[in-house]
Amino acid sequence: MKTPRVFGLFARRERTALVLAGLAIVVVPILNAFGVVSDLNLNLMGRWFCFALAALGIDLIWGYTGIMSLCQAVFFCLGGYCIGMHMLLKTGTKSVYGSSLPDFMVWNQVKALPWFWEPFRHFPVALALALAVPVAFAFVFGFFAFRSRIKGVYFSIITQALALAMWLIFLRNETMLGGTNGLTDFKTLLGFQLSDPSSKRWLYVLTAVILALAYFGARYMVGSKLGKVLVAIRDSEHRLRFTGFPVTRYKLFAFCVAALLAAIGGILYVPQTGIITPGRMDVKSSLEMIVWAAVGGRGTLGGPILGAIGVSLAYSFLTSHFPGSWSYFLGILFITVVLFFPEGAVGALAKLKLRRGKAKPAPIPEASHASQSDDDARLSGTVLAAGAGTALTASAETTLTANAATTNASAASATVEATAVLKESV
Amino acid sequence: MLRLSILPYLGAVLMSLAPLRAGADAPAEAGRPASTARDSAQRRPAPGTPQALLDTLLFNPDTRTETVTALLASGEAGLQGLFQNLFKGNVYEYAGPESGAAGRMLVIGGAEEERDNETWVPLLRVLPMEPLKTATGGPAYAKLVDLVELETDREVRAMIQPVLTAMDLKSPDRLKRKSAALALGETGDAALTPLLKTARASETDAGVIQLMDEALARIDLKSADPAARAEAAARLGAIHSVNVLPELKAMVATDNPAEADPRVRKSVDKAIHNIESFQSFTGAVQNVFTGLSLGSILILMALGLAIIFGLMGVINMAHGEFMMIGAYATFLIQGAFQKYLPASCFDWFLPLSLPLSFLAAGGVGMVVEMTIIKRLYGRPLETLLATWGLSLLLIQTARSLFGDLTAVSTPSFLARGWEIFPQVVLPFNRIFILFLTAVIVAAVSWAFYRTSLGTKIRAVTQNRSMSSCLGIATRRVDALTFGLGTGIAGVAGCALTQIGNVDPSMGQNYIVDSFMVVVTGGVGKLAGTVISGMGIGTLNKFLEPFLQSVYAKVVLLGLVILFLQNRPSGLFPAKGRNEDT
Amino acid sequence: MTKRILHVEDLMVSFDGFKALDIAFFELEEKELRVVIGPNGAGKTTFMDVLCGKTKPHTGSAMMEGKDLVSLNEQEIVELGVGRKFQTPSVFGSLSVFDNLMLAFKTDRKVWRSLFYRLTPQAKTRIEEVAETVGLKDALSMQAAFLSHGQKQWLEIGMLILQDPKLLLIDEPAAGMTDEETAKTGRLLLDLADRHSIIVIEHDMEFVKQLARKVTVLCEGKILTEGPIEKVQDDPQVIERYLGRSHGTRAEKAERLATAPAAVGSAGGNP
Repeated sequence: MKTPRVFGLFARRERTALVLAGLAIVVVPILNAFGVVSDLNLNLMGRWFCFALAALGIDLIWGYTGIMSLCQAVFFCLGGYCIGMHMLLKTGTKSVYGSSLPDFMVWNQVKALPWFWEPFRHFPVALALALAVPVAFAFVFGFFAFRSRIKGVYFSIITQALALAMWLIFLRNETMLGGTNGLTDFKTLLGFQLSDPSSKRWLYVLTAVILALAYFGARYMVGSKLGKVLVAIRDSEHRLRFTGFPVTRYKLFAFCVAALLAAIGGILYVPQTGIITPGRMDVKSSLEMIVWAAVGGRGTLGGPILGAIGVSLAYSFLTSHFPGSWSYFLGILFITVVLFFPEGAVGALAKLKLRRGKAKPAPIPEASHASQSDDDARLSGTVLAAGAGTALTASAETTLTANAATTNASAASATVEATAVLKESV
Repeated sequence: MLRLSILPYLGAVLMSLAPLRAGADAPAEAGRPASTARDSAQRRPAPGTPQALLDTLLFNPDTRTETVTALLASGEAGLQGLFQNLFKGNVYEYAGPESGAAGRMLVIGGAEEERDNETWVPLLRVLPMEPLKTATGGPAYAKLVDLVELETDREVRAMIQPVLTAMDLKSPDRLKRKSAALALGETGDAALTPLLKTARASETDAGVIQLMDEALARIDLKSADPAARAEAAARLGAIHSVNVLPELKAMVATDNPAEADPRVRKSVDKAIHNIESFQSFTGAVQNVFTGLSLGSILILMALGLAIIFGLMGVINMAHGEFMMIGAYATFLIQGAFQKYLPASCFDWFLPLSLPLSFLAAGGVGMVVEMTIIKRLYGRPLETLLATWGLSLLLIQTARSLFGDLTAVSTPSFLARGWEIFPQVVLPFNRIFILFLTAVIVAAVSWAFYRTSLGTKIRAVTQNRSMSSCLGIATRRVDALTFGLGTGIAGVAGCALTQIGNVDPSMGQNYIVDSFMVVVTGGVGKLAGTVISGMGIGTLNKFLEPFLQSVYAKVVLLGLVILFLQNRPSGLFPAKGRNEDT
Repeated sequence: MTKRILHVEDLMVSFDGFKALDIAFFELEEKELRVVIGPNGAGKTTFMDVLCGKTKPHTGSAMMEGKDLVSLNEQEIVELGVGRKFQTPSVFGSLSVFDNLMLAFKTDRKVWRSLFYRLTPQAKTRIEEVAETVGLKDALSMQAAFLSHGQKQWLEIGMLILQDPKLLLIDEPAAGMTDEETAKTGRLLLDLADRHSIIVIEHDMEFVKQLARKVTVLCEGKILTEGPIEKVQDDPQVIERYLGRSHGTRAEKAERLATAPAAVGSAGGNP
């Protein structure tokens, strides 16, 4: 029967994930405490993990449910802005202008704090809002969109329009959210000095822990009946509808979970970056998030996380060493992945493995064999993904010893190394 | 009163044949060297002659204001040049070999020239205004640093201003006449009425007449006679003088009105009503018009998208970049015209750019289809990603080739506008775009429903394998269809250069909007695209007066989303029996 | 007396003025197996679409258990006990056969329940039973996308059985099947008819004869005639519609209709 094999598979996959999580949560911060990993790199990795959270959300809504949402960055930023507003209020009179109002309001000659800023004075309220606002927003928008059965590319285009509209609104000064310059000049969070290395380390650990929890949560979710329903929506929505499932609610659920993950990512991102601007939520940002998932391999959970980290790594490297090349790189990445690796790195490696496996004379697969070999393919894909992850972490670690300028070069070589490791392991 | 004293001069200016008539009938003695203050008493023909006054202007700095007043009063037509240049601060004291016995003379500076890192000024005599000759007969020059500007105070300039303005009333340039009429009206000086009336009598241009009438009525509005004021207000109402609206409103303001007489106020109220209703009418006309022209750009964009999306199922996120290619093609062709062809041919660059930008964008489109798109049929979401990647590449390439912001100039035949009523001008460039859109929509529908290529395109998009069995080269048809769609985007780009700047990311501004048009229109029917394009364009312009443009856009996106609530497949959905799976 | 399960009156669907369906009266009894035949474009599939809520009719009603199906949405119709099998096999390709069946198994289908759903031993047994019935017991762990065409059809029927509906709407179950598979499908349907009311759309006259029940002939959206297969086969109107006026005598046509299922099958066959 199927069940025991599935459990076996889970166990292996999860073991690798646990090892990686352990490395990220325990080993890296310890190395940082001893100065082996620089604060700068630790901070960078923390930010990448935030992106990975958003990518995980993309994977649930797009990879599993088959709905390409092009406003994930909006949810990321809604979360980020909420927490940013709280931190800015806590900066208080320590700001440049020394007013109790945020600097940009002084600049815009605003006399009193706008009413909707008031709740953000208190951390619990701000945190609750940072989680609730994006999800509520996703709920309302998703409700109307899914109810009227807007699907496929139509949904993508509508969400893109939404992203554009939100971006335009956040750009304005009179919306009292800092306009083009966004929110910055954060000093403390929950009383901790953000500039303090130990605060940064704890923020990193928190992010890594939450990413790990999110991964295992998502793993549980896609393994549950609900996860199967989501895949069923992707495969044949109308069949599912006529099987009696409230498809709209399932879609809404997936959309909201994706928004929640993005919001959590945004909440953790802003204190680590120290700034949030509308530039993070433009049409392009959401599409970049899609690319993270596509590059890593949608529908694999591990893939999008690796994709987010890998693409961000490439971004850091390219923008510091070959300015101006980033757009070319991203453009070519988009096209290459879509044309040649529709299942992403993880899927491509799995396929490669499958081809090698087939090289040895196998009996003409009876139906069930085919299924098994497919399962094997997935399994190997996961293992490879895990391998890639280890390699990346390794690369990150080697990177961390170097100083900021040389960081990215060694990271790149480490990536090459990682690829080599991957090829070997195949 | 200074202003009154200049009137004879103003009259002289208006009676004389407009601008520079200098030289021919200038007094004979004007050519002689300037005299010194000492011997001027014997030499000058009579006190107060222009030449004597000029000497006074030069040698008696303390009495300049009075001297200018006197000069204005002299009525000497040859002095226009002096006044214009005095106003611009272009009149100098010059001490050189040419300045004769007095050692100094007044000169007017010509266009400055740079030589050996120094600025040289060609010198002109004041009366008559003609080039100053050196002893050898060549034109006289002086270094700018060696010249001393004849200083005039604000009072002098204020005196000269209306003179210059009045001179503009006779200018051959209608724009100058218009602004002169406007400026004179604003002074509200009753003394100017005769001038305006004379000018009005010989004026032929309707737009200028409108402003002259307005100026006359405006002056009357300041009259001491209530009847004259009431009548002036009525006249202003009749000619819909939008310019005077604030003034009229101030006359009847609820608190502290400028007008006390109730009869006049009644007349003013009526005039305000007249003007305002006219204003809302012209506002609507202009909104519809700009809306339509915005809509027609959207249609041009969306038409190509609708072909590519509706017929081929490809989401072309790089569509805006194909438009950008068309715009840059136009830019390059303009550059080539400027460089290689005589200026007289320049206007022809635009007619030539239209087909060339179509070919440029369409050609790139076909290459893209043959390399990328052909592998992605039936996977719309993947095409979205791949074409977005492509758009990044195209934008970055354009940026490295052309830099950031450039502009294409408007050929002279599109530079003006069609004045459908006084004060309502529909610019020709926007009319051109409307017309172009109509032509292209007609051409595309003709191509689709009347040509064999169109039939093939429709056949291939409906049933690929069957078409292929019937001997249609489906691969070629695909490439041509994509090329057609992107080519139309190129034409849109060419058209857009006439109303906006050209920059590498220009396509991004339109892409989401045009997708909204396609989605709202519903795929598969051109009519849907046209109607929704026009609808979204005009709606946008109608919302803008009430909301700022950003919010208008946001509201519009909201409306589209709400619209799709009721009609998820747009205005004209593709209908079929088997739309499941 | 047998009870009526479905009562349809004045059902009319039009697309852009074209009347796709115009049924004045239609009734189905409990545990009845009704076959609907008719040429291409007769409105057979549209009829099913209306019954399962996919298409909303312009007028008319379809009463089942005192509720009008026309006013309900798809999910409510499923809950009322209507199951639908589509013409093209539609299963969840990336899921295993077991998961396909598991999703169809009648349980609480709310979002949160699904998240914390545990498969009960009874449910598992039932799923395996049904898999046995549709002949997919050996393929439970296989990904549904890799099933053969016939197997997919059966899987979909299996899913329908697990939904435990009162009324099954089955659109061309034998399309694209080999003769052997067709026969097996026929037996399966007859089996099901013991416990469910079924409406089957079919073109294959051999298959229709195998089912040998009451037949409804649809043509141009209207019900042409109703009755046992033998009677329908001899109906001059039916012969006219199926084979046209100009060829041969009536007897010849009747002969052709009776002996050449392919004629009907291919005339009305779906691509």
